[in-house]
Amino acid sequence: MEQFLQILILGLSLGGVYALMSSGLTLIFGVMRIVNLAHASFIVVAAYISYWAFKLIGMDPILSVIITFPIMFLVGLLVYKLIFAKVIESSRFVEITVLLTFALSLIIEGLLNYFFTGIYRSTTPIYCTECLYFGNLYFPEGQFYATIVSVIILLGLFLFLRYTRLGNAIRATTQNRTAAKTVGVNVDRISMLTFGIGTGLAGASGSLVSFLFTFYPAKHMDWGTIILALIVLGGMGSLFGSLVGSFILSVIAAFVSYYFGPTWSPITFYSALFIILLIRPQGLFGKKMELSR
Amino acid sequence: MVILEADNIVAGYGKGPDILKGISLKVEAGKTYCIIGPNGAGKSTFLKVISGLLTPREGKITFKGEDITGLRADQILRKGLSLVPSDRSLFPDMTVKENLRMGGYVLGKQKDLINQRIIEMTEMFPILKERTSQLAKTLSGGQQQQLAIARAMIVNGDLIMLDEPTLGLDPKTRHQIFKSIEILKGNGMTVIIVEQNARLGLEAADRGVVLDLGRFSFEADAEKVLSDQRIQKLYLGAK
Amino acid sequence: MTNHPPKAVDSVKIPPSKKFMGNKSRSIFAILIFLILLLFPLTQFIFGGMNYWLHLLLYAFMYIAMASSWNIIGGYTGYVSLGHNVFFTAGAYIAGLLWVYQGISPFIIAPFGGLIAFLIGLVFGLITLRTSGSAFIISSIALTSLAAILLDKWELAGGANGLSLNLIDLPLNTAKFPFYYAFLLLAALTVFVSYRIKHSKFGLGLRAISQDDVKAEVAGIPTNNYKILAFAISGLFIGIAGSLWVYYLTYLRPGLFLALGISANLVLMSLIGGKGTVVGPVIGAVIMIAINEFFVSQLGSSAMNIVAIGVLLILVLLFFPEGIIGTLKSNKKLPKILDWE
Repeated sequence: MEQFLQILILGLSLGGVYALMSSGLTLIFGVMRIVNLAHASFIVVAAYISYWAFKLIGMDPILSVIITFPIMFLVGLLVYKLIFAKVIESSRFVEITVLLTFALSLIIEGLLNYFFTGIYRSTTPIYCTECLYFGNLYFPEGQFYATIVSVIILLGLFLFLRYTRLGNAIRATTQNRTAAKTVGVNVDRISMLTFGIGTGLAGASGSLVSFLFTFYPAKHMDWGTIILALIVLGGMGSLFGSLVGSFILSVIAAFVSYYFGPTWSPITFYSALFIILLIRPQGLFGKKMELSR
Repeated sequence: MVILEADNIVAGYGKGPDILKGISLKVEAGKTYCIIGPNGAGKSTFLKVISGLLTPREGKITFKGEDITGLRADQILRKGLSLVPSDRSLFPDMTVKENLRMGGYVLGKQKDLINQRIIEMTEMFPILKERTSQLAKTLSGGQQQQLAIARAMIVNGDLIMLDEPTLGLDPKTRHQIFKSIEILKGNGMTVIIVEQNARLGLEAADRGVVLDLGRFSFEADAEKVLSDQRIQKLYLGAK
Repeated sequence: MTNHPPKAVDSVKIPPSKKFMGNKSRSIFAILIFLILLLFPLTQFIFGGMNYWLHLLLYAFMYIAMASSWNIIGGYTGYVSLGHNVFFTAGAYIAGLLWVYQGISPFIIAPFGGLIAFLIGLVFGLITLRTSGSAFIISSIALTSLAAILLDKWELAGGANGLSLNLIDLPLNTAKFPFYYAFLLLAALTVFVSYRIKHSKFGLGLRAISQDDVKAEVAGIPTNNYKILAFAISGLFIGIAGSLWVYYLTYLRPGLFLALGISANLVLMSLIGGKGTVVGPVIGAVIMIAINEFFVSQLGSSAMNIVAIGVLLILVLLFFPEGIIGTLKSNKKLPKILDWE
């Protein structure tokens, strides 16, 4: 029983972080129907920012969220303005944007490789190897803090979307873009802001994963596939869905990791993706997906 | 006084053909207009152009003396011209209250004003009052339509346009909707309705306009349109 | 053109020269090119030292086949797949393992490599093509990642380090010949199949699907079956290519065949040339390989390579979405010898 609880804790502790990683992706998809294949690349970029902040000025990675969020927010605005604004009215929007984000992920990976090489890196604050003990159960300290920070940020996101004018506009645009236009929402500007916020969230999560995992430029493939699987499982566009999906899969992955070894845990996410597509393609909380592309 | 003037509007979608082929209309303040015509004639397109959802290829639109051609939908809304689209365009996963609040989006941060307007609307549409915390997608067709109208009224504009307000509703509900439209008229608003149910629409209107094949083919006082033999044959299903 | 109704006599009188000449000139052009390529290796005996060019050409043939293949699902049907490198890998592993452990020549296995890829395509398509394009793209990426993990662990195949294959038993100056001809044949075959598909009822259905799934379904096209078939076919030739390539490379390693760059190349080649056209991927492949060779010889291969692909992809998508053939065709400037649409 205790073993079970322990594994459960380890699973849940990562769920929060995965939820944060995928929240930005869900937000962006909800508002703009863009599958942002570069989202994980932004997470890696933020991880590098935190890494260098840690290495050069000793900044604690959790603290670095304060700089990675705004930086990546601005990056998001810029990327949207330069790249996506042009194709917003195109009829092949989904197809084009996927390829654009794909191209972006290549560029980012290449540049990171060029400047930082493929060496495995990770920030190493003191708590990343320590554990907190609750009776006979232990909680890796780094993951504990990461989970708390993730939950706080996600709570903030929830409050923002529910109770602010801008947040409401974002929700409205997600639910019915034309209706949003009808009530006077500037959907183009909302799209840009959402892309910024989503990328900012990627940035924040990047700071956290910088001490939870080792990373290198190509790591965006691993993380990216995981968060993509998460949003498909939760139901694309549903923040609540990606939250629930994240926790469920993290727990399952923790058990898989315990019984079969850690290298098998990513397979949990990929298999879950295919299984969900087989039995319930719209995900747990998604709407029956329009076949239109 | 002419509140809205459309001058020789030519419009279409994407790279497609012209749907509106040169439409002109003068709308007088405080009156109710009903636009009838066969499917595909361009009625919805006309409303979309006026409201800013579609930019015309040619022509000019003047509202309250100001040229609004090519302005964005939100800009036009701020000037007091609102549209209730044919699919009602509600936010399905938001509550009635949240939908109404979104109706006041262009009023910005004037929270008290918006709240006051919401209260006024729920008074005016008692059905909504009972359901303020219900999600919009759970409402019936008629309730959704009333919500859509109420939402469009939050900005307390001067001109409101309704695209097929009785689409898909049963006769009893249809009459309820037209009662709501009476409320709009009572408030002094200028109303433009596009109605498939030509008879009902014309009975509620002051002026009737016939739109066919992208042009206005006939415009007169509503009773005249209703009683005109040709119109009766072509659009009202008379033998 | 005047407006009176055509007489019965007029309708028979199609000016023969105009119609026939168009088809004839492009067929002659194609046959000419094919003959030149067929005879090219003989220059090895005349000039010697042509191995570099043989390599470049067979590399181009391979990508011509692969890009044309990808185009069937990505261009004709409009479903972008970023996981086609899995087919490449499947073909490579089948052939590579059978060569190492059973000594069966990959030239014989290649068609089976294609068949296996075809079957994988069917199964995968059945699971993932029922949903929207977004979910499909995500699935194709997931497939790649899944394959990467599974192959890393597969001890029989040497895991992440892979296996080394035996070289083909031929003298140096003719060693590339079988590969050259095999890839030339594959390229010709793939382009031919691509052409036939485009000009068939199947191809018409695919095009309808690429415009609008729902409308196509309503029009009576069995969209699911068509999509799955197109996907499987597109994988088949890539599987064959993989079987041949592993033999040529003599290395069987996951990283070589699952590289992101390969998927990116397929997309970019089809896009540059003209997605959804027959000749587009061919031209795109040739151009990309030429550009790549130029940059590698000038600047050396580096991480910037992948950056360049990404930048090029963005530029093409934003400013040049119809690609070369597509743009020429839209502007009615497409020369007849290149018009196979």
